[in-house]
Amino acid sequence: MAWKRLLLVFGIGAPLIAVLAFGFTRDPREIASPLIGRQAPPFDVRLADGRALALADLRGRVVFLNFWASWCPPCRAEARALEASWRRHREQEVVFLGVNMQDREDAAREFLREFGITYANGLDGGNRIAIDYGVWGIPETFILDRTGRITYKHVGALGGETIHAKLEEALRGEVSRLEGKGEYRSIR
Amino acid sequence: MVLAGLLLLAPAAGAGGDDLEDQMRAVASGLRCPVCQNLSVADSTSELALEMRALIRDQLRAGKRPDEIRAYFVSKYGEWILLSPTPRGVGLLAWVLPGLGALAGLGGAAWTLRRWSRRSAPPPDVPVPGAALARIRTAVAGGDLPGTLSAEELRHVEALQELELDHHAGKLSDRDYAELRALYEARAAAALLSSETPRRRAPAEGGPVPRHAPGRRGPSPRVWRWVASGVFLLGFGMAVGFFLSGAVRARDEGGSITGDALTGTGDAAARTDSLDLRTLLERGRQAMDGQDLRRAIDFFTRALERDPEEPTAHASLGLILQRGGHPDKALKAFDRALAREPSLPQALWGKGLVLHESMGRTAEAIRAWETLLAQDLSREDRERVTAMVAEARARIAGRTSPAENVAPVTR
Repeated sequence: MAWKRLLLVFGIGAPLIAVLAFGFTRDPREIASPLIGRQAPPFDVRLADGRALALADLRGRVVFLNFWASWCPPCRAEARALEASWRRHREQEVVFLGVNMQDREDAAREFLREFGITYANGLDGGNRIAIDYGVWGIPETFILDRTGRITYKHVGALGGETIHAKLEEALRGEVSRLEGKGEYRSIR
Repeated sequence: MVLAGLLLLAPAAGAGGDDLEDQMRAVASGLRCPVCQNLSVADSTSELALEMRALIRDQLRAGKRPDEIRAYFVSKYGEWILLSPTPRGVGLLAWVLPGLGALAGLGGAAWTLRRWSRRSAPPPDVPVPGAALARIRTAVAGGDLPGTLSAEELRHVEALQELELDHHAGKLSDRDYAELRALYEARAAAALLSSETPRRRAPAEGGPVPRHAPGRRGPSPRVWRWVASGVFLLGFGMAVGFFLSGAVRARDEGGSITGDALTGTGDAAARTDSLDLRTLLERGRQAMDGQDLRRAIDFFTRALERDPEEPTAHASLGLILQRGGHPDKALKAFDRALAREPSLPQALWGKGLVLHESMGRTAEAIRAWETLLAQDLSREDRERVTAMVAEARARIAGRTSPAENVAPVTR
């Protein structure tokens, strides 16, 4: 009789606690992206310098696509590393493209000036590009290979070495299914 | 005529707008807001939800069906975005488990109730041994109660005698009397039997036997139950204590409830207790180089716990604060570092940066950098500082903004 009761307690209690414990290990805000390994959603964007850019024009080159806002501290934290990586890789067939979202245009321009950003940056007015990429925390970075396929996604601030490694993978056409994660801010 | 036409059309157009709004709300209320907790896109006031609602409206106007719009959002955010998961694969569990749980609960309740009712009712089909029954009847009829009867048996016998009196007095019908008598006799016989068993065994073992004689073979099931409950409670308490201590502290936006202990993504501070000051500073510097600013802050904060005025830790925290967009706090950190060590290069460099870039106090920045240049620096560092001083001077002289020095955007 007692062993039956024990079995009941542990048979129901243990799995329940296991499920709860698993829940504790998860970041409730995290949303796994279904886009990795798929073609990147196409878009046209107005650049900070007034020109227009279509993602389709960048086909044939590896694209480092970074969503950011000037009010987000991790975006500030990674800004210099991104600019340094751009300078390091610009000779390869790599393009860096920033997409500013949920921001004021003057604040975004001030950010670009402050960190001396020289790669192209687009202004995503209605945040339609961000929604199209399923963005939920910034900075959020997508790396696209030469065929326009998403090979890597990273939520949070990036360091130079990770950028280098992931760009090299994209140049070889390798896909990282596992998303990267660093310090981020939930978008508003 | 035109006016009449407009008047006729006006309500229709209004109804169309309401219709669109209703359709939009119907779609939005089934979508989870990605930046809220348990709010639908329809209910959330966040900027993102606002934009998502506008997008749904645009797609409806473009002639998209609600399920196409839902499919669009699923293709961007995954099944996560749906407040009601589709009844397929793992999503099916969310639909089936509550029903199964309710069924199991009802079944359990019914089973327990049945057990309780059985326990209080007499065992209906248990044959009452003739000898015991005869003894009870003798005791009831004769009134000469044997001294061997226990208190419980005595109670049953008395109840039977009362029943008989009531029957004789005409308070009970024959049918009720027969039914109750059978029930009471069965109970009395059962009590007699159960009390006889140990009494018979007692002389064979040659002495008084404790009530729980079978317990001698090992701990009784009751003991095991207590032990298991104790172990379970202890484990549960420890788990709650462990997780609660992580959960109730103030945590950053996006921080995990477990304090990253289980995800293994950080909380280096917990493992730094045994490190000495120099190692802490070195690890902090490494973390800073690796852009892992959170870990770097942990290391430097630990270093300051060892030595509250440690200049390198203050200067490094200042650089992190400056990068994080807190110039005021950064300046305080640099000043604190310089108070202990007035020629610390890191602090002088950082102080200049904050004053020049964030506060516009360029003249003071130049003074800090000139103090730095008076020291022994590597050629590269010296060139960098000299360039910054030159730029700062140029800004004072010509009021040129550093932004104009930035190369044009390249594609």
